[in-house]
Amino acid sequence: MTLYTVDTLLSLVLLSVLFAFGSSRVPALIKVMAFQGIVVSIIPFFITPDMETGAVIFTIATLVIRGVLIPLSIHMAIRKVAIQRDVSPIVGYHASLFFGLGLIVAAAVISRYLNIPSISDSQLLFPAAISLLVTGMFLLMARRNAIAMVIGYIMLENGIYLMGTTFSVRARHIVEFGILLDVLAGVMIMAVILQNIKQTFDDVDTSLLRTLKE
Amino acid sequence: MVEMVFITPFITGLLAFILPKAVSRQLLVLTGAVHLVLSLLLWKNTPRAWFAEYFAVTPEGLLSLLVISLLFFLIAIYTTGYLAAHRLKSENIFTGFMLLFLSTMTMVTLSDHIMVLWIAIEATTLASAPLIYTHRSGASLEATWKYVLICSVGIAMALVGSLFLTLSMELGGVTAAMSFSALTPVAGQLDPAWLKAGFIFIVVGYGTKMGLAPMHTWLPDAHSEAPSPASALLSGVLLNCAYLGIFKTNKIMVAAGLSDFSGTILIVFGLLSIVAAATYILKQTEYKRMLAYSSIENMGIIALGTGIGGLGVYGAVICMIHHSLIKSSLFLSSGNILMGYKDRLIANTGQMAKQMPKTFVAFFAGFAGISGFPPFGIFIGELFIIMAAFKSGHFLAAIVFIFSLCVIFAGFAGQVMKICFDAPADTEKTPAPDFRETPALVWPQYILLLTSLILCFFIPDALYQTIVDAVHAIGGGLQ
Repeated sequence: MTLYTVDTLLSLVLLSVLFAFGSSRVPALIKVMAFQGIVVSIIPFFITPDMETGAVIFTIATLVIRGVLIPLSIHMAIRKVAIQRDVSPIVGYHASLFFGLGLIVAAAVISRYLNIPSISDSQLLFPAAISLLVTGMFLLMARRNAIAMVIGYIMLENGIYLMGTTFSVRARHIVEFGILLDVLAGVMIMAVILQNIKQTFDDVDTSLLRTLKE
Repeated sequence: MVEMVFITPFITGLLAFILPKAVSRQLLVLTGAVHLVLSLLLWKNTPRAWFAEYFAVTPEGLLSLLVISLLFFLIAIYTTGYLAAHRLKSENIFTGFMLLFLSTMTMVTLSDHIMVLWIAIEATTLASAPLIYTHRSGASLEATWKYVLICSVGIAMALVGSLFLTLSMELGGVTAAMSFSALTPVAGQLDPAWLKAGFIFIVVGYGTKMGLAPMHTWLPDAHSEAPSPASALLSGVLLNCAYLGIFKTNKIMVAAGLSDFSGTILIVFGLLSIVAAATYILKQTEYKRMLAYSSIENMGIIALGTGIGGLGVYGAVICMIHHSLIKSSLFLSSGNILMGYKDRLIANTGQMAKQMPKTFVAFFAGFAGISGFPPFGIFIGELFIIMAAFKSGHFLAAIVFIFSLCVIFAGFAGQVMKICFDAPADTEKTPAPDFRETPALVWPQYILLLTSLILCFFIPDALYQTIVDAVHAIGGGLQ
């Protein structure tokens, strides 16, 4: 029963990936990111039958940070400094969506060939992890809006987290330590920088950041 | 005891934020001296770490640590002169983060646990980002943004690589601790497919930080926008730290018998970087960016040497040491040029030999050293790498390498001649530099270059033995 729950949740994540590829507004991306953050951080509760107290605390902390704190702070940031809401794509939405579909199919095909015993119960764990990771990379490269890039980075981290929590107990420990530090620090610094980009350039369109070349 | 080496600068770094400016300048030099003494003590007798599971003293770590210590001490002396001549708005933030940067880099050299190394490399990004943003201009902001973003993605890739390593442990039934020293003896039991995947991700991840092409795009911006002492640290030390991550992982690969696979990957990335540097260095108009591209070239050479193996690894380690010494001296000299001519463009400098003779000596000697001229160590390193390449049958790699070296030398030489001897393009616009070459602003460069020169002819036994030990661990040697 729990397995079906996991796969159901993950299928929603895969849908949200497609949504991320197609959405043109930053607020929509924030919602997608928050949803993925919440789902990714509750998955461990379903696949590990008896978790230690430490692991439970870490999982809840991740849930709070990924699902609430980060989306909320980005939401506040764009409201406070009136950042442009359009994600200014480099690759168009139709092409992005098409890429997204191809990505999910490819991830599903690849994961059938991989020999990972610990996740053989759930069909969608590995495809979802890879899809999230690549979606994050894609948003980083194919969107000019700095906030959209930060959101892409967090999706990438969600992908890594999902991958780590599902691999093994040892991998989970690693992912917990690493990712918390990473997310907190990365977002804090990026927020500061964004603030300044805002002040200096009056906008967060990174295409304005083209004075330095090569 | 081992941990003291990075705890000390961490504490003084925090202190530097709150102390008065003059005191924190002194603190910078003092910490540099204490750090140097502490790392020399590590050389003398190797104590056990308090947390032996996470930290350990390794030959390659010792080498990098000594380079870091010496460089930081000299750069700190330069910084006192630099800060006296060049007002910074937020000096305390600058000195504080310099010290924190030192602390995180020291932690990289001493970490043994795979995740501690990862956290330390991540922390170097955090500690150095404010240094790049010191001037608070639009361009420095752009450079910082690029640096943080690209390096964060890189570090995320390295985390994926580390995850794959745990998976290969799981599948191979290895229960050892997740540290480099514990994994190397049991490397043969690791699942090879996932180990390979992990290595690729780790090379891409740490390679981003090391400045290997095509992930190098942050490097020229960051190096040209950071204040010169910080550029010297970035180029001379930070890149080595990232290389250390690849080096240590390569150790596991070699122990697992996958040295052919890892070697090929390193050769490809190395050659790509060298060729990319050769392409871009020809049309550089700014001297600090030119030096940055030369760093990319040298990191490529180091990766190439490591990939070729045998004598090449020895050459790579030699290149690493001498590149740090010479390149940091060049960046310090470029700081003098910038303060003198108040311009980054090569076209707006000129006749430095006449107008800033002491800086000229340091800059020109550094140029000769970095281009691989005989009295400096890079010559020996490059020679070893070329010999190893021919010996092991990597003819194509050797030819591309030699050709690129010639191109880079030609491009570099042309620009250096313009800076040193030519009259400025527009004499009206370029006034003679108004700049006093105080001892603190030239002696650090002289000492760095002299060290490189001496090490070329005479290597102390302890140092030689450590280099050989480090090289031996990844299948290299003097044969």
